[in-house]
Amino acid sequence: MSVTFDELLDVKGAKCPMPLVKSRKAVNNLGVGQVLKVVATDRGSVADFQGWAKTAKNIELVAQEEGADNGDTVYVHYLRRTK
Amino acid sequence: MTITEKLEIGVAPRRIEDVYADLLQDKQRVIVDVRNRDDFARWRVDGRSSLQIVNIPYFDFIEEEDESVAQVPAADEVLVVCAKEGSSQYVAEILQERGINATYLAEGILSWGGLYDTRTVVDAPFGKVIQVARPARGDLSFVVISEGQAAIVDPLRHIDNYLQVVHDERATLTHIFDTHAHADHISGGPALAAETGAAYFLHPYDAIHPLDMLPATLPYNYLADGQTFQVGQFTVKVIWFPGHTLGQVNYLFTAPTGQTYLFTGDGIFLRSFGRPDLGGRGEAWTPILYASLYERLPQHVNDDTLILPAHFSTLDESAEDGIFAASYGQVKEQNEALKPRTLAEFTEYVLGNLPTFPKEYVEIKRVNAGLIQPDEELASELELGKNICALADA
Ligand SMILES: [Fe+2]
Ligand SMILES: [Fe+2]
Repeated sequence: MSVTFDELLDVKGAKCPMPLVKSRKAVNNLGVGQVLKVVATDRGSVADFQGWAKTAKNIELVAQEEGADNGDTVYVHYLRRTK
Repeated sequence: MTITEKLEIGVAPRRIEDVYADLLQDKQRVIVDVRNRDDFARWRVDGRSSLQIVNIPYFDFIEEEDESVAQVPAADEVLVVCAKEGSSQYVAEILQERGINATYLAEGILSWGGLYDTRTVVDAPFGKVIQVARPARGDLSFVVISEGQAAIVDPLRHIDNYLQVVHDERATLTHIFDTHAHADHISGGPALAAETGAAYFLHPYDAIHPLDMLPATLPYNYLADGQTFQVGQFTVKVIWFPGHTLGQVNYLFTAPTGQTYLFTGDGIFLRSFGRPDLGGRGEAWTPILYASLYERLPQHVNDDTLILPAHFSTLDESAEDGIFAASYGQVKEQNEALKPRTLAEFTEYVLGNLPTFPKEYVEIKRVNAGLIQPDEELASELELGKNICALADA
C-alpha cells in the first residue's frame, strides 16, 4: 500500500507507551491535513492506535499495515492531523 | 499541550502474588486498567465484588491528563495495570506526581493470567489436600498426598506447578484424574502422564468430541461408575455425574477417619453448578443433570463432606485464606442454584440462565481429545479470560 505522508517517525524498538507518546508529539508538529507515518515494532501499537484515534481530538487513523524490516515485523500507522 | 515523557519519580512495581493476597483480604480496593477498551473488555484482573476497577486507557492520559486523573476513584492506594508494564508505570508516575498513591503491576496483565496459587486445604495425619488455583481463569485443581503417593485432580496446562508440589511433598505421582473433558481449559493430564508415567484417567463418554463425534486420539484409562482406587490411606470412588458432560465423574476420597472429600469438577460449584449445554445438547442433557444433582449426589455425600470444585466465579466464594472449599451442608445453604426444584422448574431455571457459549470451547475440547495440537501462542489465546462453565447468576 502506498499512502502518501509528510513526516516519518521511527519508533522501532520502543515499548509501550513510547510509540504513542512520540507520535502525539510529532502530530502536534504537523500542519492541519498533513500525514505522519509511524513505524513501530510493538505489536500492541496496532490496537492502541485504533483506540487512541477514536477518542483523540485531532487525529484520523488513515491506514495501518504490516511489513518486514531486517527480519522483524513492523507495524506501520498513518495518522492525519485533522485540526 | 504538555505531554509527559519521563518523570523523575520512582514508583515501585508490585508482584502479582502480593496483589492477589491483597485482593483476597480486600485490601486492594481500586485498580486502574490503562489498556485499550477492547482488551479490557476481553479480560481483566478480578477481585471481590467490593473491588473498584476502572478502565482509563493510557492514551487518554496523554490526550487529556486532567480529565483522566479526575476519573481515578479515591483510595489509599491505586494499582495501575497495563498489557506489559510500561504504560502502567507511565500512568502511575503521573498519578504519583498528582499526589495519588499509585503503584503498578509488574509484568502487566500477563502476570495475572499466569499466576498459579498453591494452598494447603487439608493437612491431617492420613494425608494432605493441596489446592492449585489459576485465579485469572477461576480454575481449581488439586493434589492429594498420602503415604508418599500423589494423585492429581483436574490438572491445568502448566504442569510444572504440580511436579513442584509432588516433589516438595517427596511423593510419587500415581493417578491423574480428570473429572471430565474440559471445554474451558487445556488439561494438563496427558502431558503429566507422558512426563511421569502415571496413569491418566477419563470417562470414555468424554473421550468422544460431542460436536465432531470423533474419538480421542490420546492415551487414557477408562473410568467406570463405582470403580475404586487406593491412594495411600484414601479410598477413592468414582461417581458418574453426567449432565455437564455425558462422561463427567466426581471423585469421592474417604479418609480412614470416615471424613469424605468430593472433587466435583464442573458438577456442583460453591455457588452454582456446571452448565449442561457445552456439548451442544442443553435441552437433552438438562434432565440428566437434574438426576445427577438431586438423585445421585445425595446418595454419596453427607453434610460434612468437603466439596472441592474445579471452578469459582468470584473471589467472594473464598474466605481470606484463598481456599475454595466448603462442606456439603454449607453449600446447600448458600447455593441458590441447588435449591429444591421440580424437573420442570429446574429446566426453566437452567435454560433461562445459560451464559454465552464461547466459541473457543469447541476448539479446546478438540485439544483435550488430542484432535489438534496447539502451539503455545494458540493455547494461551484459547485460555484467555475467565471460565464460563457455571450457569449465570439468576
Ligand atoms: Fe467443564
Ligand atoms: Fe470448566
